[in-house]
Amino acid sequence: MNASQGEGRRTFLGWVSGAIAGAIGLVVGIPLVGYTILPALKRRQPEWNDVGNVESLQPGIPKEMACIHSITDGWQKTTTKKSIWVVRNDTGTITAYSPICTHLGCGYRWEADQQKFHCPCHHSFFSLDGTVISGPAPRPLDTLPSKIENGRLLVIYTEFKAGTASKIEL
Amino acid sequence: MGQRIYRWLDERLKLGPVRIALLDEPIPGGASWIYVFGSITLFFFVLQMVTGMFLAIYYSPSTEHAHVSIQYIMDEVAFGSFIRGLHHWGASAMMVAIGLHILQVFLYGAYKRPRELLWIVGVVLFLLTLAFGFSGYLLPWDQRAYWATQVGINMVGTLPVIGDVLVRIIRGGQSLGAMTLTRFFALHTLFLPWLLMGLVVLHLFILRRVGPAGPWDEEQAARVREPFWPKQVTMDAVAIGVAFVIIGTLALLAPAPLSDPADPSDNTFTPVPEWYFLFYYQLLQYLEGHWEIVGTLVLPILFFLFLFLLPWLDRRKERRPFSRPVVMSAGAGFLVLVFTLLSISIREVASIPKVDPSVHRGKALYQELDCSGCHRIHGKGEAFAPDLSYIGDLRDRVWLIRHFKDPQAIVPTSDMPEYGLNEQELDDLTNYMLTLKR
Repeated sequence: MNASQGEGRRTFLGWVSGAIAGAIGLVVGIPLVGYTILPALKRRQPEWNDVGNVESLQPGIPKEMACIHSITDGWQKTTTKKSIWVVRNDTGTITAYSPICTHLGCGYRWEADQQKFHCPCHHSFFSLDGTVISGPAPRPLDTLPSKIENGRLLVIYTEFKAGTASKIEL
Repeated sequence: MGQRIYRWLDERLKLGPVRIALLDEPIPGGASWIYVFGSITLFFFVLQMVTGMFLAIYYSPSTEHAHVSIQYIMDEVAFGSFIRGLHHWGASAMMVAIGLHILQVFLYGAYKRPRELLWIVGVVLFLLTLAFGFSGYLLPWDQRAYWATQVGINMVGTLPVIGDVLVRIIRGGQSLGAMTLTRFFALHTLFLPWLLMGLVVLHLFILRRVGPAGPWDEEQAARVREPFWPKQVTMDAVAIGVAFVIIGTLALLAPAPLSDPADPSDNTFTPVPEWYFLFYYQLLQYLEGHWEIVGTLVLPILFFLFLFLLPWLDRRKERRPFSRPVVMSAGAGFLVLVFTLLSISIREVASIPKVDPSVHRGKALYQELDCSGCHRIHGKGEAFAPDLSYIGDLRDRVWLIRHFKDPQAIVPTSDMPEYGLNEQELDDLTNYMLTLKR
């Protein structure tokens, strides 16, 4: 074999080795990338949580109710207790509010003497229907999806981004 | 394009000498397919490392979560079953590859002077590979993992004088549990990989310094001298490609197994080690009582002593296999023994009666319905209702089914609830009850 034939053969063999390495790299690499990032991008399925009986709820008096929120974190299912604010409106319907202030994420409370919701962190005040009366909160209180079944209130506990003018689900 | 990248790097790294060192290794007698096994072994080690690292993204090394985290990988993570499959079959592939590599070196007498150091490092690498196999097996924390490790550790306990202490150290405590699992995980993913990587580098360094042995025929060895690149590299690449296709196919078509979660109280489970330990498992079956120590201590020590001392036991310069009858007979004898034991073992394992799926379902139903809340089986459960340990001897199928359907009709004073089981559930639960015999 002369020099240039040898050179050509060496290049071909080099190409073969490279192709095999490349093929193995892709067959292993692509699944590995999917394996690493796809589960992280998955969104949880929303679940209805039973909050309790609301038949005795009076209009104009917000009630703090416990919501057992279960989170499936990969292979681990954890339950945490969240409390939410539940209000019976004058029309008789029920509104459930996220307990998180829309300003920067603190927990707010009901001031019965002032008939307002008040956040102690930066003093945002909200009315019974959630609108901002005063303070830095950029939007009204976030309502949670809710429904009544057999006199019991069911909500989907959802978290929203704090500090934005529009309601954005996390 | 490749050339331009190379030239850019070369200007900054002076790659010339590196290239020569790595790729210009002269192979006496030229490239050959028989030399591919070392590279295949290295490839599988790299594959194990990569797939192992990624498995660790989701795996949790705690007795509470190990099993469920692996179920998660298998059932819910994209490509999880494939990646775990590669790791599972890759382990077997590595054992085959290292076996073939050792065999080739043994056959060619490539352990002889001046390659004794290369061989010694190789034997240590082999030991580390076995340690990888043993430590990794426990990590799923399923029945197979738990009981196989229990047996393995107990074997260490048979060693005289140091046995008990050694067992405590390996196990991490008084019983096989959380301490063992984290210990084995640290060993498998941190200690062993670093050790192995270091020794692989040493192994390759020594090889490069002393050069490959080449053919046993000195004339043939002198006739041709070919550099590693490109012919041997290509042969290695093709062999690796074929091996990978086999393992990849297995990973896709035969998912890695996962038996029930480890249950330390269930001693009806028959542990079986991974196939590459099966021949040894079979051998131990023949050595009972006083002879046990021959199997757990004497033979392994003799075997590894033989391996380590081989370059000095077989000292003559002669490398032709037919001119080394003693060594070749020993090697052949060993292979015949291993394969015979392996085939006997496979036949025996295959003949273990598998649990009737109906009985298996019945047992699961018993747990689901929480029957042990009132009944007791072999000490497990409460004593409010009759003990069921030998119920298969006391009641027949007809009675059991009638009783499940309407307990109070058969036993008027019974507090047992009606569970509203369908035909299959009644059948499964009854079949399970009927296995509870003396």
